[in-house]
Amino acid sequence: MSFDTALIVESLPKMLMGIGLTFQLLILSAVFGLILATLLMLMRISGKWWLSWPAQAYIYVFRGTPILVQIFIVYYGFPQLEMIRESVLWPLFRDPFGCAVFALSLNAGAYVSEILRGGVLGVDRGMLEAGEALGLSKTQRFVYLTTPIATRLALPAYGNDIISLLKSTALASTITLMEMTGIARTIVAQTYAPYEIFISLAIVYMVLTFLIQKLVARIERHLGRYTLKEG
Amino acid sequence: MEALSGWGDDFFQGSVVVAQVFVASLILMVIFGLIGAAAKLSGNRLARTIAGAYTVVFRGTPEILVILLLYFGTALTLTAIAQLFNPEIRFVDVPPFWAGTFAIALIVGSYATETFRGAFLGVTPGSIEAAHALGLSNLQVFFHVRVPEMWRLALPAFGNHMLSLIKDTALISIIGLNETLFVAKQAIGATGQPFTMYIVVGLIYLGFSTIITLTVMGLERYGNRHLRQGT
Repeated sequence: MSFDTALIVESLPKMLMGIGLTFQLLILSAVFGLILATLLMLMRISGKWWLSWPAQAYIYVFRGTPILVQIFIVYYGFPQLEMIRESVLWPLFRDPFGCAVFALSLNAGAYVSEILRGGVLGVDRGMLEAGEALGLSKTQRFVYLTTPIATRLALPAYGNDIISLLKSTALASTITLMEMTGIARTIVAQTYAPYEIFISLAIVYMVLTFLIQKLVARIERHLGRYTLKEG
Repeated sequence: MEALSGWGDDFFQGSVVVAQVFVASLILMVIFGLIGAAAKLSGNRLARTIAGAYTVVFRGTPEILVILLLYFGTALTLTAIAQLFNPEIRFVDVPPFWAGTFAIALIVGSYATETFRGAFLGVTPGSIEAAHALGLSNLQVFFHVRVPEMWRLALPAFGNHMLSLIKDTALISIIGLNETLFVAKQAIGATGQPFTMYIVVGLIYLGFSTIITLTVMGLERYGNRHLRQGT
């Protein structure tokens, strides 16, 4: 047994061919997930039980089941239902890419909504009372006070969630998508060199994780530029 | 729903496997987490560096990649070792149960490292000093003051780690462990009802998550019982 460096040099570009697909999965699910999360969070803090209960149930189900099972229900399960086969959404669910983005977005939505809620609940009451005293309406307080402060508070946890999402995109390889992990699994099946291929791919993911962390830290610094001066 | 009849036993067996993986990986995860935290808190620079690398690597790599690497990697290594002694051996089979259990324990253990470290540092210095002033030995301080305060601090995050473990067991079906997702695949082959079967898997996992969540809530209430007496 030896470590075949030539194989890494040969395989790495092949695996990197899948980085575009990995990014597409990541960015699309992050955007759709964030929209869904915002809706769920607004439903939960609305104070109306008929809005907050469904949101809570949704979050409970999606956080309580493995993402792999969610992906399989969408990709393998949905075609069993006639209702879905005959709906306008069928082209989306017939395509493994559509299924992966759909499942990852639904999953991310559940996790991110909890992060956003944490941010909103973390906003200092005194700040909101000051806003009220200045005559700002409820909507104005939410837009001008709660939103910017909550964004800043939620950002570190949100960054971690984007990293989780990046790692989850690797599961798209289980439904035939040839993103980086899918390509790596194919190469390992052909060469039977798991160490070389999987370790070099792990390093690629670690670099991406590092870059996301750096980017989030930068945004954090930017958003916190007023608070930093005081400290 | 009648498609389910006859598969109940198999799903039950699959659930037993999930529970077994969970218990085994939970024990390993706690061990890895404690070693990691001890190393990070130690005065030894090498230990700190290794523990730092451990957390960066396992938090930055997709779970599925770690599982595949451990499974195929150990098989390859063990085969090479076995061939040194007996060149006749063509291939050593690694049980997916242990490869998978180790993999998810290592992954979640890297998160637990930070939790345990944070809990250790979160213990109020005052209570430690008070205990020393009362003449307790270092060992007594550790077991009677530090540990009781630590586990309470670590509990909420530890509950999340347990949920990660139970959900990660689903990923081990990829390397052929006969847990619920694997049972579902066989049941689908026989009945042609993927939606029904994967929903059943989802419900089983939701059941496991609910048990864990309720247990953690109970433990939290028990751990903080003296803190609520005043209110």
